[in-house]
Amino acid sequence: MKAKLKAFFQSNVFRCVTILLAIVLVSGALLSVCNDLLFVSAEERFARTLAKIYGRQVETTQLSVSAEDAVFAEGTVNAAYLTDDGNYLIQSTGNGGYSGGTVTLWTVFSCEGSKEANDFKWLGIEKVVYESDRKQSYISKIKKKFYTEFTVHNEEILAGGKFTTAAGGDDIYTLSAGASRSSAAIVNGVNTALAYFRAHVLGGEA
Amino acid sequence: MKNKYAKIAFDGLITNNASFKLVLGTCAALGMSSSAIGGFGMGISVTVVLLLSNVLISMLRKVIPSAVRIPAFVVIIATLVTLLRMALEKYMPDLYDSMGVFLPLIVVNCMILGRAEAFASKQPVLDSAIDGVSTGLGFTVALTLMGMIREFFGSGSFFGIELFDFSIGFFASAPGAFFTYGICIALFLLITDNVEKTARKKRARAFRVSQSAPLPAPEETEKKEAETC
Repeated sequence: MKAKLKAFFQSNVFRCVTILLAIVLVSGALLSVCNDLLFVSAEERFARTLAKIYGRQVETTQLSVSAEDAVFAEGTVNAAYLTDDGNYLIQSTGNGGYSGGTVTLWTVFSCEGSKEANDFKWLGIEKVVYESDRKQSYISKIKKKFYTEFTVHNEEILAGGKFTTAAGGDDIYTLSAGASRSSAAIVNGVNTALAYFRAHVLGGEA
Repeated sequence: MKNKYAKIAFDGLITNNASFKLVLGTCAALGMSSSAIGGFGMGISVTVVLLLSNVLISMLRKVIPSAVRIPAFVVIIATLVTLLRMALEKYMPDLYDSMGVFLPLIVVNCMILGRAEAFASKQPVLDSAIDGVSTGLGFTVALTLMGMIREFFGSGSFFGIELFDFSIGFFASAPGAFFTYGICIALFLLITDNVEKTARKKRARAFRVSQSAPLPAPEETEKKEAETC
C-alpha cells in the first residue's frame, strides 16, 4: 500500500495535476486581487457617462420611473435624472432597429428655473448622446451631425412636434444616415424620451 | 547575438507576419478592422497579451509538463486577457466599449496559442519576448492598414476625422472585410516575393563575381607572405 502511494506521488499524472492546479490557483488569486483594485462601480460608470455628455462632473438627483410609466410605443425609458443646472437627463431605448435590435441613448432637456419657484421653463433638447445598441452593426455610420439634428428644431418641438425618418409628413424629418434602421431606432429613442418628459415632467410629477 | 534578435524581430514583423503570411487571428482582423483606431487598439491589446504570455510561458517552460502544456497555456492566456479587460475597463473605457466581444475572444486567438506552443515553450525568455512584441506589432500594422482602407472607403474618414461625405457601404460590411483582407494578403505576398527575388539575384550575382575573379599567381603570394612576416 505504501509503495503504491509512493509510486502515485512520484508519477507523471500527479505531477501534471499538481502543476496545473498550482497555475489555476495562482491565476485565481491574482485575478481576485486585481478585481478589487480595478473594480468599476455603477456610480463610476454613470459619472463617466455624465462626463461624456457634459464634459465635466455634474451632480444629479435620480427620479423614480415606475414600470408602467417607462413603456411607450416606440421604446422604453430606463432612467431619469435632474441635474444641478436644472436640466433633465433621460436614458431611453428606442425600438425598431435592424434585426429587431435597439439603440440606447441619453437625451438632455434644457430647462431654466425650477418648479418650486414657479418659474420653470423648458427650452428644448440640448443634446442627444449615444450609449449602446443591440444588433446594430451599421451604428458607426451614424455621424455626429445626425445627433445634432435633434437639437436644432426646438421651436417645433416646443410646439408639440416629434421626429421621424420618413420625409413628407407633419413630424420633423431627421435625415437618415445611411443606416436607416439604426436611424429609426435612435429617432424612436428620442421620441420616447420626449413623450416621457412631456407626460411626467411637464405633466407635473418631477 | 544582435543578428539573432534582429532575425527574430524581422520574422515576426515581415517574414512570418501573423495576418498576411500565416493568416492567423482572422476573426479579430475582420471584426475590428472597420476603423483604423479600432484595428490599432485591437493590435496593441493583442501585442500586450502576446508579450506577457510569451514571457510567462518561457519562464515556466521547464516546469510545465508536456502532457498538460495546452491547458496550462490557455489558463495563463485567459488570465492575462481578463487582467487586460479589467485594466481597459478602468482606464480606457472608450477602447473597452469599442472592442466589445472581441476583447475576451483574444483568449482563443490562434496566434497567441500558436506562438506559445511553437516558440515560447522552447526558447529563452528574451527571445520569446522579442518574438511576442514583433509578432504583435506585425499584427497591429496589418490591422491598422486594413482599418485605414475600410474606414476611408466605407465611412469617408481617416482615424475618425471625416474627410468627405461619400462612402461605399460595401467596405463597412463583412464581405468588404474579406475583400480588403484578400487584397492586402495578395499585395503583401507580391511585394515580399519581389523583394526576395531581387535579394536572391543580388546574392547569386555576387557569388558568380567571386567565383569568376582570377586567383593570384603562386610567386606573388609567397612574396606577399615574406613581406608580412
